[in-house]
Amino acid sequence: MKSFTIGLVLGLVAVLAIAVAMKWRQRNLPMSVAEKAEYLGKRRARMLPALAIIYITQQASYITLQQDAAHRAVNDAKISAWLALSIILLLALSAKWFWFERKEVRDLLDDENTRANRSDGMRFGFIFAMLTCIVIYFITMFEPVNGRDVVHIVMSDGLGAALIRWGWLERVAHRDA
Amino acid sequence: MPERLDNHLKERRTELGLTQAELAELIGVTRKTVNTIENQVFVPSTILALKLARALDMPVEELFFISSG
Repeated sequence: MKSFTIGLVLGLVAVLAIAVAMKWRQRNLPMSVAEKAEYLGKRRARMLPALAIIYITQQASYITLQQDAAHRAVNDAKISAWLALSIILLLALSAKWFWFERKEVRDLLDDENTRANRSDGMRFGFIFAMLTCIVIYFITMFEPVNGRDVVHIVMSDGLGAALIRWGWLERVAHRDA
Repeated sequence: MPERLDNHLKERRTELGLTQAELAELIGVTRKTVNTIENQVFVPSTILALKLARALDMPVEELFFISSG
């Protein structure tokens, strides 16, 4: 249990460090609210598919850990890091991004088109998660599946699909802009 | 035939000598939103359509219209 908590805290600290580093990099860029929103919006569009890929590739690590019979603390830490990333991505999907930016920039970054794209991403993620549930339901008819594994698969599929869809829509929207 | 919301946004904006970024700033959205409306990728809400019409000094029913096909 202790190693889970350590992994969770490490994951959250890593995200916080990335946010602070990003803020530090922008310190010498004098930009208006609109310019900053444009700059950050484009960066978000590039980040979303990358985040989805990182998130989904973590599943390979989870599957490997499942096959590893020896239950080691490092495995727990890795799994809880996945949980930390899931929580952060869920927050990013359901709330405005760039929590350390000024309110005006954040409001502009969450304008009508972004909200529409994000909603579409969430709709896509929900459908994908439900389809995953249906597939798992059929699998359980032939083979028992651990409850924790199901949560892991459904959450990863739902969040991953939502991020990819949102990222793709954002990239399309930024094209030619 | 499927109907879609078309607009004269680009024509009117260039007529007034505004860039997408300038128009976006006038109505409080990002340039991306203006671009997606111009390219008919995104259908704006009534509020945003009215804001655009006001910023471009044009009746909303002239700025936006339904086209088929």
